[in-house]
This record gives sequence, C-alpha cells and structure tokens, in this order.
Amino acid sequence: MQLVIASGKGGVGKSTVTASLLYLLKDEYRFVAVDADADAPNLDLLLGVERWEEERELIGAKVARINTESCIRCGICQERCPYDCIKVIDGDYVVSELTCEGCNVCGLVCPVPGTITLEEVRSGVVRKTTTRYGFPLISAQLDVGRPNSGKLVTEEKEWAKKLMGELGLEHMIVDSAAGIGCQVIASIGGADLTILVAEPTPASLSDVQRAYKVVQHFRQPAYLIINKADLNPGFTALREWAEAEGIPILGEIPYDRAIPRSMSMLKPFVEAFPDSKAADAMREIAEKVREEILR
Amino acid sequence: MQIAVSGGKGGTGKSTVAINLAIALGEHYDLALADLDVEAPNDHLLLGVELSNEEPVELFMPRFDYSKCTRCRKCAEVCEEHAIITMRDGTPFLMPNLCSGCAACEIVCPVPGAILPGKKLMGHTYLTETPYGFPLVTGKLLEGEERAMPIVSRAKKRAQALGKELLLVDTAAGTSNTVSKALEDSRLIIAVTEPTPLGIHDGELILRLAKLMDIPAMVVVNRSDLGDVGRVREIAERYGAEVIAEIPYSENVIRSYVEGKPIVLSDYPEAGIFREIASRVVEFLGGGE
Repeated sequence: MQLVIASGKGGVGKSTVTASLLYLLKDEYRFVAVDADADAPNLDLLLGVERWEEERELIGAKVARINTESCIRCGICQERCPYDCIKVIDGDYVVSELTCEGCNVCGLVCPVPGTITLEEVRSGVVRKTTTRYGFPLISAQLDVGRPNSGKLVTEEKEWAKKLMGELGLEHMIVDSAAGIGCQVIASIGGADLTILVAEPTPASLSDVQRAYKVVQHFRQPAYLIINKADLNPGFTALREWAEAEGIPILGEIPYDRAIPRSMSMLKPFVEAFPDSKAADAMREIAEKVREEILR
Repeated sequence: MQIAVSGGKGGTGKSTVAINLAIALGEHYDLALADLDVEAPNDHLLLGVELSNEEPVELFMPRFDYSKCTRCRKCAEVCEEHAIITMRDGTPFLMPNLCSGCAACEIVCPVPGAILPGKKLMGHTYLTETPYGFPLVTGKLLEGEERAMPIVSRAKKRAQALGKELLLVDTAAGTSNTVSKALEDSRLIIAVTEPTPLGIHDGELILRLAKLMDIPAMVVVNRSDLGDVGRVREIAERYGAEVIAEIPYSENVIRSYVEGKPIVLSDYPEAGIFREIASRVVEFLGGGE
C-alpha cells in the first residue's frame, strides 16, 4: 500500500507526525519511507540520519542560454518569455538561471539559429539510506533556484518501488511537500490514500481544504490528524469541516513542548519523550492506522 | 522598490512577519503587500480580510484544427513537457495536465490556424483593500494545477502595477525557482527562520539563494527560545547577514494570528519586536516619507 501524509500548509507538524508514526509502525510492518519535500527535506533530520548510502544526481532541469557572440539584440526573446526571465545586462540579453522554467520559447522565436540553446542542468539529488530504525528512507534535495519539479518526486517513488521489490516491503509511506503544487501532485498521484495533518487555525484549515481537493481529484480516501489540537479551543471549524466532508479523524495531538525539544534531539518525539501527552496521542493514532488502514 | 520576506522552511512565521511588518512600514511608506505563496496563501486570513477583485490567470493551451493540421508532428517534437502525443498518422493530441502554456507548439506550427489559442485556467490573482491603509495582492493556484510560476509571475506584475513606493513580497517556503521569481528585484530579504535543526538547515538554503541573487539579507529568528540562536547567528554571519530580531515562542502571537488581529497593533510586548524590525528596514532603505 502507498500512503501519503500531506498538509497543504508548512509547519503544521507533518514531518514530526510522520517520523513518530514511522517509529511506532517499524516493528510490525515492512515499509520504505519517502521524503517527498525535495525543496525542504527534513524527515532525515528528524530520524537522525547521518549519512547517505547512495546518492544520484538528477539531471533534468533545463535552462536557456543565450550566446552573446551571435545574438543580434533584437529583443524578441525577452518579449516572448512567458515569465520575464530575460534581462538586459550591460547591453547583453541574459537568461536568469534562477527563474527560467526551461520552456524554450526564447529559443524558438530567436531569429538567429543556434544562438539560444536549452541546456540540461542538475536539478538536485535523490538519495537513499537505511535509518537506524531499520527501514529505508528515500529523500531528495532540489538545488537552489531550480524548477520545483514533480519529476524529482516521481524519481524518488520509482526508487522506492524498486526497493520494495528487492527487499520485499509491503508499504510505501510518503511525506509530501507543503502546498498543492507539482511535488504534492506527484506524491498523491498513484497513492492509495492520504492522511492529512492540520492544526486548528484558519490558515491551516484553508490550506488543508486545498490539499483535500487534490486528494479528491485522484479519488482517494483521506483521513485527518489534528496537531496542536488544544492550541485554539474556540476554533471548531477544522473538526466541523472534516465531519461535513466525512473525513475520519485519526486523532488529536495536543501542543506539547516535548515536540520541539525532540526536534533538537533529532529523534521522533515518541522515542525521545515516550511519557509525554503528545506521545500518548500519537500511539492511539498509530493504533488506528493499524486497525483501519494497514490491516 | 521592493523587499521580500522569505524563509526556507514552511510554518516558520513568514506570513506573520510579513503582515506585521507591512503594517509597521505603512507609517513610513506608501506600500503594497503581495502574497506570492500561491500554493498556500494566508496573508488575507492573518489580516482578517476577504479576498476581492478576482482576476483569472489563464495560460495558452493549444487547440488543434484537424482540418488544417498536416500531421507534421513538429508541435509534438518541440514540446518540452511531452504534453502533445501523436497518433501513428501524426495526428496530435494534447494532454492538458502536462501543458505548461508556453506556446512553443504554436510558434513552430507551419500552418497558420492549425493551432488555435485555447485557454486554460491556472488560478487567480486578487487585489484586496485592507483596513490598515495598504492593498494586498494575492496569487492563488487552482487546486489540481501543478504550475505555480505563472501565478507568481502574474500576481507580482499586478502588485508592481500599483506603482507603490514600496512593495513588500511574502514568498513561498523553500528555494525553488518560484521563490527566486518572487525575490527578484528585491533590495532586501528578511529571512525568517527557527533555531531548530530543521529551521537552521532550511534557513541556510535561503541565505544561499539570497547570496546567489546578490540581494542583502537580514535574519529574523522566530520561536527563538525553542533552540540554539547562536547556531543561527553563526550561519547568518557566514552569509554576511545579521540577525536583527528574536521573537520568542508566544501564545500572544498565536492568539493574534488565530483572531486575525495583527499583533503589531496590540499592547502585547511582541508588538515592539515587529516595530523594531520595521525600523531596521527603514534604516536600511534610507528612510521614507
């Protein structure tokens, strides 16, 4: 089974919850974990990963380059670039590598053949390790300023699938990026179900509703975990929304200082502070995941 | 001129800093705020306003006129996204989800009128007046669409067109090219980070991007009592950035955020921190009016 953990909004505790869930499931299930937030991966940090066993460069991003020697400075490329990535610097037309999407429109409209070329550049790395908890982790890191492509996530999931075959693993657990863009779509697409993590704030509600629409787009079941559940007692809209949509709530984790403290110890909070009230809640959630999802 | 609030990691408090800074800077400049976190725009929620003046962001999408198409396959060959597939006889078909709207197919098509300009809705931009004396421009990607760049680009243009003295941009998390697009043209980046290992890791990436783009950066440490601010200082120093403020974890900040009442306008002590950030920015930019 392929299950995804998503949130829409960053910082609601998705990776924290994922790390602890993985920790609680590790003895009973054989799975591979995938950190699909290539833009800001941190599941490895939360699982105390110190080294990668294998790292592959991902060449795939494309950026346009303008040959200033043959450029006749007609400006058509700048005019037609859909994202304003071409600037004039000291009289030369220059493509900004940090914003180019690699669509090649400039190359197609350029009247001087060979002046604008599309070059493949490194978009980041995909890497693999075995965590100290025994399960493998696939992660990626996008290079600064590269298109935040879903291809990187697809690459990660391919590698994870291969590992599942080689190691005879039953499940893939994917920690998706925040937001609803290509990485999230690549994470949710092809999965069996999504667990949404949200906190009781208007911003988190708004973002998780958007993530849920992506889940619906793929016609998948969704579940909800409410994190920092007691942060905002007056705010009932998150729970009401889940009930109205028929999204089962797997559990509620109270705000607990044990969580940020465990983060600086680079350990899942259920491991670092097993007696905390957050850990109690997390164990109940893991129990529900066993009974209702992974049974 | 433009400045930006950014920060590698999601949930570090970028939007909280952005809206409070906008309010505080409003005393010095005629400004606009642009929420360019188009996958998860929240500034309007924090400001307690409803989005208004919706404008669609539509991208070009090819429509084929099969009566004119010569089945030459050029459109499919040139499509970087492989969004156009061809049948055995060369008849092109579009897979709309893959189309980036770049119009490359239309440019290379040798038969005028064989590719017609269809349209695809990607999301919206909004222009909302706030009760704080400045307008908010928001970009919002449609759920199910993958490409954030067109929305970022269009929302930024809409904000720039307001012609304000100062444009304050709130970016998405991370350091991908949509963040670079938002940061572009900034005179200063306020990088918001947390002193946790995660925050420090991602905060370093945004400082690296700032350096690559040659934009000066200042660092605001949020939830400063939850980790080691000394580490943040070390890294900031390595990138020539100064830590200009520390905001301790605070129930007051959370309360104001939940209530949609910016804390800078409250009597809480945290209000002073945001005013201090604003005055550092004013100092850096060289005054205002």
